[in-house]
This record gives sequence, structure tokens and C-alpha cells, in this order.
Amino acid sequence: MSRKRLFFLMALLTLLALVLAACPAPAAPTAPAQEQEAAAPAEEAAEPLAEFKVGLVTDVGRINDRSFNQSAWEGVLLGAEQLGLPEDNVKYIETVDSKDYADNIQQFIDAGYDVIVTVGFALGDATVEAAKANPGVYFIGVDQFQAEALPNVAGLIFHEDQAGFLAGVLAAHLSETDIIAAVLGTDLVPPVVAFKEGYENGARYIKPDITTISTYHPGGLDVAFTDPEWGAATARQALDQGADVIFGAGGITGNGALQEVAAAAQAGQRVYCIGVDTDQWYTLPAAQPCLVSSAMKLITPAVADLIGMAFQGEFPGGNYYGEVGLAPFHDFEDDVPQEVKDQLQEIKQGLLEGTIDTGYNP
Amino acid sequence: MANAIDRRPGRLGRFLRSLLLPVAAILIALAIGAVAMWAFGDDPLVAYRGLWSGAFGDARALARTVRKMVPLIFTGLSVAVAFKAGLFNIGAAGQFLMGTVAATAVGISFPGMPAPLHVSLALLAGVVGGLVWGLIPGLLKVYTGAHEVIVTIMLNYVAALLAGWTVYAGGTEGQSPGPLWDPTARAVSESPDILESARLPLFFDPAYRLHAGVLLALAVVVFIWWLIYRTTIGFEIRTVGLNLKAARYAGMRVAWTVVFTMGIAGILAGLAGAIETLGVNWKFAPEFGGQVGFDGITVALLGQTHPFGIVLAAFLFGALDAGAARMQFESGVAQDIIQVIQALVLAFVAAPTLIRLLFRMEAEEFEVTTISQTWGGGSG
Repeated sequence: MSRKRLFFLMALLTLLALVLAACPAPAAPTAPAQEQEAAAPAEEAAEPLAEFKVGLVTDVGRINDRSFNQSAWEGVLLGAEQLGLPEDNVKYIETVDSKDYADNIQQFIDAGYDVIVTVGFALGDATVEAAKANPGVYFIGVDQFQAEALPNVAGLIFHEDQAGFLAGVLAAHLSETDIIAAVLGTDLVPPVVAFKEGYENGARYIKPDITTISTYHPGGLDVAFTDPEWGAATARQALDQGADVIFGAGGITGNGALQEVAAAAQAGQRVYCIGVDTDQWYTLPAAQPCLVSSAMKLITPAVADLIGMAFQGEFPGGNYYGEVGLAPFHDFEDDVPQEVKDQLQEIKQGLLEGTIDTGYNP
Repeated sequence: MANAIDRRPGRLGRFLRSLLLPVAAILIALAIGAVAMWAFGDDPLVAYRGLWSGAFGDARALARTVRKMVPLIFTGLSVAVAFKAGLFNIGAAGQFLMGTVAATAVGISFPGMPAPLHVSLALLAGVVGGLVWGLIPGLLKVYTGAHEVIVTIMLNYVAALLAGWTVYAGGTEGQSPGPLWDPTARAVSESPDILESARLPLFFDPAYRLHAGVLLALAVVVFIWWLIYRTTIGFEIRTVGLNLKAARYAGMRVAWTVVFTMGIAGILAGLAGAIETLGVNWKFAPEFGGQVGFDGITVALLGQTHPFGIVLAAFLFGALDAGAARMQFESGVAQDIIQVIQALVLAFVAAPTLIRLLFRMEAEEFEVTTISQTWGGGSG
């Protein structure tokens, strides 16, 4: 009997420890960094403005994830500020369970919100369903490609190939060995392929004979973006082959590559790395020793613009392409000559106007 | 014995006494949650008001609470039934997943089958999936002595990986995709939607997503209550749980009872998975396993392992989950606080049991009343 009790006791204790350990620390203060200073004084609130409300539903994760959720929320704050919305008119709900997408969107619909931002590819279905049921509400779906256009859904997507192209141009200019590399997530995901193709073609645009070593993660979606060891090993291999600029595009896998290059840079090697999606100077400080720039999807201004358009009643249903660009050079400002900066500006303009083609055709 | 019965409080008194511990646990957990919010500069009153309105504020909120309650009733019962036989079923999560996968497999097949038949078949598949996953630890315990806690924990991992594989989207190096994967989902690992004919009927406004699984849950609660307290096998289960040697001495089939109980536990958790699939999700993706398997343990303890207590506990946990989003919406408090509160409830409900075990207290009222109930129930 006593042995059985001991077993039961141990089981209970183990269980308690498991549950308590699995339990995240109590709610961190959730107000995300609102870094934009009030650039322009808020315009006088017009009459309907006080009624205009914007809500955001995150993908599973935090509002301050230093990634898409945070960028989109900062876009909501920026949009609200540009319109001069009262502070209480913008709110967010963090999704904890992917089964709750529809419920969380519904919270905002029930509360009479005018614009609902849903962040991430995974919310695409729930967003379209809610939009069909509520034609009077505008939806902004970040990273959600719209197969058929609905008048009240804007799928905010990006020309990743253009961001990659700019990164490639920069890499080609910086490289002295004329060997550059890219460490990538899986080619199962179209944006990753777009980044890679753009990067290689951008480099060749400057140096037609440059050698590019691009490596996709060989695993499936479940590991391709969460394998920093593979990313680091692949970056190391590229460095050994003489690459001196490495582009990391693949979530945590890419971060592993950036950190490996940063370690080499700290050891005195002349090597650079380029980040992806957001300005990784802030999101991955460990990469700062080598991080010359990042190929960014500018989610924040695009979300703000779309909110403004919704308010004006000029909402663009269907797919809406947000701007892409390179992040600031930060500590490497002096490593990039002024001519290169000017040329990057020109090329970006050319890509926008269509006079330069990235050579990526999905 | 006679002495103990004399000291036994009346029926109402016993009922109130059984409420004491859970209610105290909930109140203390909510109070600590409030202090945590206050310490981080949030207003607990606004937060709890939001929680309340998100869980009970209007018809849609109430529907959400009930929808979240259903799987917790099943996993709570699954854990509780095992408890009755002295078994600790930590495997509800894995049994849930196996039920989910089996129901999905049937749900996406057999186009043109009449709805009542298709739904029944899919539910049956869920039952079988959970049953298999419950029988394994039961049989291993009986034939090899392997402890069910270890086996069920390990089977949870097996189930999660197996379930994930069934909808695996394949890899770039030619790894073949899983059998239930939806090719139109491209790189996303998920199953196709189950056919209309396999979906549980919805009540009221379809937007409430309130499905017939609610009725099934309540029916199963009554059935389990009857099974445990009004049948011979239920009597055997409880006797094995209370005193293994006595049960063996009395000529009960102890081994058979252990296997049977784990089978029932597996069936209950498997049904939870099937009902969630056929009533709420309409498809399977690896992340759908979620917390319900583990929350079932808390619900079972909070409900004092009594079927009707479990309904109340599941209702409370369903309400906490359902109101979390509105709470964040109203107050800005992160929803993780809900998990903190739920974990605290578990800690406080489990603590008295722990303390009793630690100090080998005789806990007179508790055990004696249980035993006398047992005899009364068994002869009735």
C-alpha cells in the first residue's frame, strides 16, 4: 500500500512540476514598444473619427514577437496616429490556440469594429469567412494571398524577390572574393524561393560572374525554419568555401547562419551578413557584428496606409503589395560607399516602376 | 464502522463539504491572479469583468463556453474513471489525438454516405482510436507491471508524432506525404475538410458553432455515473482503486478490471477528439491536440473525480478559456494569466491530497464515507 501511495505521490509531484514549468511567466506588460514619436501633431478628430475602430488578431504568439505580429500592430498604432484616432479605438487579441481564430475575429465584429487586421498566412481562411459574413467590415490580412478578390479584404503581400534583389546588389558590392552565399528555409514556401532568386539575380546584375552558393534546408516545414544548427553549419561551410557575404532567409534557421557569420566577424574575418523580413539589427542583436542590412518587408507602413484607405472609403480589395526595402546599415554606414547607396535607391525605383526585372517568375 | 457512520454528516452536509475544497481552490487562484495583474499595473476588476462577459455575457459567449466545455468533460471523465481504479491516466492527450485522427480518416472518406450513418461511423472510429491507445498501457501494466504513468506519458509522444505524420506535407527530398494530407494545402500539413455528412448537427444559430456533441457529453456523464456507482463492474473498479488486496481477496478479476478501466478511459478521451473534429474543427492539423488532454487531469481533480463534479469543473474551465480573449480585449491583460490561474487551481486541489499522502493522515471522513457509500451502492 505504501509503495502505491509513494508512486501516486511521485506521479502527482511530477505532474505538478510539469504543469507549473509549462506555465509561462505571468503576463508581461503587454503594451508593445511604440517607438514612433508623434511626428505630426494629431489632426483634429473629425466627427466620425471618434467612432472609427481598428482591431488586430495575432497569429499564435505574442504581440511583441519582434516579427510580423509586432510589425502589424505598430502599423495599426501608426495608422491610428496618422488619423488621430483616440487611443481606446485600437485593440488587439493575442491568439493562444489556432482553433480560436474565428472566435477572436468575432470579438471585434461584435464590438462594432470597422477594420480588423489578421496577422499571418494561417488566419487566411478565417479572415475570408468573416469577411463574407460581414461585408460592412474591412479586413487586412497580413501575408494572406487572395485567390479571389473580395471588396472588403486586402491581402497584404510583398515582392520578396525585389527585397532579395536589393540584398543581392548590396552583397555583390561588398564581396571581395566574389563568392556570396544564402542560407534558406525550405523551397516548399514560395516567398523563400522568391528571396533566393531575387538575391542571385541582384548579385549578377552587378557582377555577372559572381559565384553564389544558395542552400535550401532539406527538411519539411516542421523543421526548415527552426533549425539554427543546420543554419550555422551551412554558413560555416560557405565561409570555408570563400564566401564573404551571407544572406540568411529562413526564420530561426537563417538566424543560426547570421550568428555563425557574426562569430567569424568577431574573430577578425572580413565577412558580412544580411538579415530578412524585419530589421534584424533589433530582432537579432547577436548578429550585429556582421549585420550590414536586412531585406525587409515593410509591414508597418503598409498596414497604416491600408487603415487610412479604409477610413477614406477607398479600400483596395484583393491583393495589396506592400513596399520592400533594405534596412538601415547601422554600424556599417561607412562600409557602403555613397555610390552604392545611390545605386540601390535607383534600382529600388526601377524595380517599383518595372524597368528592372528581378527575373523571378513564380 | 458504526462509530464512523454516526459521525457522518447528512446528505446535504456531505455535498456542501465536497464543494468546500474546489471552491476554495478557485477563489484563491483567482485572488492570486488578481494580485499578479495588479502587480503588473493592470486592473484586475476590468479584466475579470471582461472574462465574465466573454464567457457568459451574451448568447454567443455562453455558446463559446459550452463548446469549450465539451472536450473537457470527456477528458475529465477519462482521467476520473482511471482514478477510480487507482490508475493515473496521463495519456488522455494521446488518446484524444488518436480519436481525432481516426475520426478524421473516416470523416474525409465515404462520400455519399447518409449523414446519420457517417457521423456514427466517424464517432465509432474515434472510440476505437482512443480504445487502442488506452488498452496498451492497461495491458502492459497487467502483463509486465509497467507503470501506467510512464507508459501513458510516452504514448502521448508517440500519438503526437503519429498524428503529425498522417497529415505531413512531405519534404523536398522526396519524403512522401502522410495518408490524410490535403494536397491542395500545398506546404501546409493538414487534412482536407471532413465531408458535410460527417459533421455533427449544429443548434440554434450556426454562427454559434454549438454542436450535438453537447448532448452526447451529458448523456455520457450520466452513463459513467451509472457505470461507476450502480453496476457490479463499477463496484469492482472502485474496490480495486481503494484496496487492491481486498479486491483480490474478494475474488475480483483485478487484471481484467485494470484493462477494462483503461479501455473506458481511452474511449472517453478518444470520443473527445472525435467530437472536436466532427463538431468544431472539421479537419485535423497537428497543433489541434492542444491542452484538453492535460486540462482533463485538473478538471477531474477539481470535480473530485465525480461525474457531476466534472461537469461543473469543465464548465468553469470552459468559461475561463472562452472569456480569455474578451478579457484581453477589455483590459489588455495577456491571456497567459488564465493558464496561471488554471495551474494554481490544480496546485490547490492537488495539494490536500498531497499533504494527506505525505503525512499518512487517515482522513477519516473522506475514506470512511467513501467506503460506506461503496457498500451501499454495491448492494443497491
